Amino acid sequence: MTTATTGNTLPNTADSRIDQALANRLAAIVGEKRVLYRPSELLTYTSDGLPSYFKQPGIAVFPGTRDEVIAVVRELAPREIPFVARGAGTGLSGGALADGVVLIGLNRLNHILSVDPDNGTAVVEPGVVNARLSRAVAHHGLYYAPDPSSQTACTIGGNVAENAGGPHCLKYGVTTNHILALTVLLASGEVVKLGNAVGERDGYDLVGAFVGSEGCFGIALDVTVRLSRNPEAVRTVLADFMSMDSAARAVSAIVATGIVPAALEMIDQPTIRAVESSIYAAGYPTDAAAALLIELDGAAAGLERDVSTVEKLCADNGARTVRIARDDVERARLWQGRKKAFGAMGRISSHLVIQDAVVPRTRLPEVLAQIHEIGERNRVQICNVFHAGDGNLHPNIPYDASDADESARVHAAMREIMSACVDAGGTITGEHGVGLDKLPYMEKIFSNDSLATMCALREVFDPHHRSNPGKVVPVHSCREWHGAPNARGTLA
Amino acid sequence: MTGTAARNATTESVAAICDRVRDAAARRLQLRVVGSGTWLDAGRPAVQAESISTRDTSGILSYVPGDLTMTAGAGTTLAEVRDATAEHGQWLALDPYGSDDGTLGATLATASCGPLATAFGTPRDLALGFEFVTGKGVIARGGGRVVKNVAGFDLTRLFIGSWGTLGVITEVTLRLHAKPPCDETFAIALHDKADVARAREVLRAAPFIPYACEIVNGPLARQLVGRDELTALFRLGGNDESLLAQRSTLATLGDVSAADSSIWTKLRQCEPAGALVFRLSNLPSEVGRTWNEANAIADSCTGTLIHCAPSRGVVRCIVPATDTNVAWLNRAFRSPMVSTRIGERLPPELWPAISPPPTADALSAGIKRTFDPQRILNVGIRGESA
Repeated sequence: MTTATTGNTLPNTADSRIDQALANRLAAIVGEKRVLYRPSELLTYTSDGLPSYFKQPGIAVFPGTRDEVIAVVRELAPREIPFVARGAGTGLSGGALADGVVLIGLNRLNHILSVDPDNGTAVVEPGVVNARLSRAVAHHGLYYAPDPSSQTACTIGGNVAENAGGPHCLKYGVTTNHILALTVLLASGEVVKLGNAVGERDGYDLVGAFVGSEGCFGIALDVTVRLSRNPEAVRTVLADFMSMDSAARAVSAIVATGIVPAALEMIDQPTIRAVESSIYAAGYPTDAAAALLIELDGAAAGLERDVSTVEKLCADNGARTVRIARDDVERARLWQGRKKAFGAMGRISSHLVIQDAVVPRTRLPEVLAQIHEIGERNRVQICNVFHAGDGNLHPNIPYDASDADESARVHAAMREIMSACVDAGGTITGEHGVGLDKLPYMEKIFSNDSLATMCALREVFDPHHRSNPGKVVPVHSCREWHGAPNARGTLA
Repeated sequence: MTGTAARNATTESVAAICDRVRDAAARRLQLRVVGSGTWLDAGRPAVQAESISTRDTSGILSYVPGDLTMTAGAGTTLAEVRDATAEHGQWLALDPYGSDDGTLGATLATASCGPLATAFGTPRDLALGFEFVTGKGVIARGGGRVVKNVAGFDLTRLFIGSWGTLGVITEVTLRLHAKPPCDETFAIALHDKADVARAREVLRAAPFIPYACEIVNGPLARQLVGRDELTALFRLGGNDESLLAQRSTLATLGDVSAADSSIWTKLRQCEPAGALVFRLSNLPSEVGRTWNEANAIADSCTGTLIHCAPSRGVVRCIVPATDTNVAWLNRAFRSPMVSTRIGERLPPELWPAISPPPTADALSAGIKRTFDPQRILNVGIRGESA
């Protein structure tokens, strides 16, 4: 950053509060090199893992310590300047973006503050990368269970904001099931402790409310997480099917047994072909209509019995082949194909829309058939790769955003898919968050009163909507809280 | 009543609750939310108020066994859920202290759980979504009806454990589990109090999590298994091969003896009428110390029943309600203790001593003001001034 005259407006915002003088004051807190405001410097921070949304922050600031984060937010508070906290920027909902805000990058707060191997907990800063935490505690026989596909890059702070999931959340739960306590910086600059890291929580579950609040309730300065013990044994099974329907029926059959796989993933043929023609090739059969990647883990005793049950259920439901990974190398290869599938789709087209809807598990065969029909009718290629065990769909459509006709068909298909999932009794996002991407769909699943109630909760934490403005609840819903309650409607 | 009939009846009942709350809010008339009425003496003393019942919101509204979820009115009892799910080899893995006559609404409002929390977690891990009427008389929902959902702020977790102070829960959606092929209960007699910490060590090192593990003191063991000695009770689930290995690991703690699964019901219902009930909790690694703190209290209160879930670090004490015991606890609670203390059922004079009100912080007070601006719902039960 170069020093300029106080009072100059910056190139990226018309907000007179976000000016050169502010940049100078922030630089005084974090150092000149940690404050960016030129358009070319800010380009990275105009979008996240979804390439379809662009928002222009006025300034990006990168504090290196907890005290610097507090000082930055306290600098913004008196002038009521809005801000957005950002971790690795791998989110898939347009969640860590906003126009004309101060973007606070937290990736430098990447210290694991303490590990308590005896109680299986760790206290970490928000910028700690998910997979790094697991590596750091591996020598204790522990790991951090929530495993979003971006885990080699995404941060715990971002995971907390989005209540991130991942394939292994089927058995082990999503982020909220693994957070014990938080230190949170509110938009006012006040620091509060939520939860109880050393015993039962009494009182309102403020930790539960904060996790998944998508940055709207404040910034987590430290996070006390629960660690899990490495399973004694793991078996990874790949079963391939000649129809999506038979694969979906195998999923239902497995879930009904009471065996809870650590993960139960489905990958369809377009995805298999994208993966197999990429550097992430995992050895999936490219002529199969769908493959299930099933992982069973836990105590060694009795595990083989469960594996046999799963093998039989796959065969009974029409699996062509069922293969069990021989060793850790093969297991890692099978998982790499699954976890890098989004990346592999980059081979098909320059852009990708990603959905995250959830449907009741018994509705999977029918909803998958509907998705196929929607794709055919709109002449778009849908690649399904998803968490079948909990009904969390990820229909992805690769496309060329410079082709207006194709873009229109893609977005029409996406809207139809979302409606099909909601009509089946599902929800609009299982793990990616609402962000900007799902905002228009919130009114499909929640009544105005429900949305206004959520907005009112946000206002307890952030009365002026300065922390990640414009996310989760449509703005007009927030105006209704103080009005008269609506009559009971058919919506949630 | 289930399905459409239940839904129609529940809709009417919710509308009635809504009207009642709006009317009360307009008149600033305080209300006490009541389910089955089995736990009215739990929690801090609520101010005298008219009751508003959720019992008319009872009935299973939606249950597709293949989805392993159920939506039911808040007034539905645990017994109704137990019977409906058992027909399909499933269960709600939640066994709060008390009887199955308690309602879902009350169980969730109080975040009550029991021995199964060792493996299946608390109501916060089992509730997927719900409907409620706020103190403004607004009907709203949080969460959804599917097993994974991050749409919107998590009102579900916020409401669980709010003791009816933020709204009247009218409907809940729950995660169910399939019953395992084998479900076995047994007891191990322990030698001395050092075995409490040792049991926790064995569990920590084990490659499995038992469905339940409760260590009970002698007086409680006498009621449950007929012998007056420190005893560990285990409940294991899985296939038979898995259970064999689990039992063999746990046998390192002592001699295994068969026990009837009915001991879990007896444990849930062991409280004598009017007993003083509270919990101590700390890190699981400190469970031996927490157990000792509980026993230091029990040593002066004859007939105290104590049990603990070692891997959760939670010790629960049930003290006979005598004037002497109340006086002793009043002194004990005012002396320093390492553990977090949470009251369940205590006379009014013990609440200020056991712990400060849990919702006294500014955020909690703001949440209360937002959801119940006229302060009409269950006032006092969380320790806030009337």
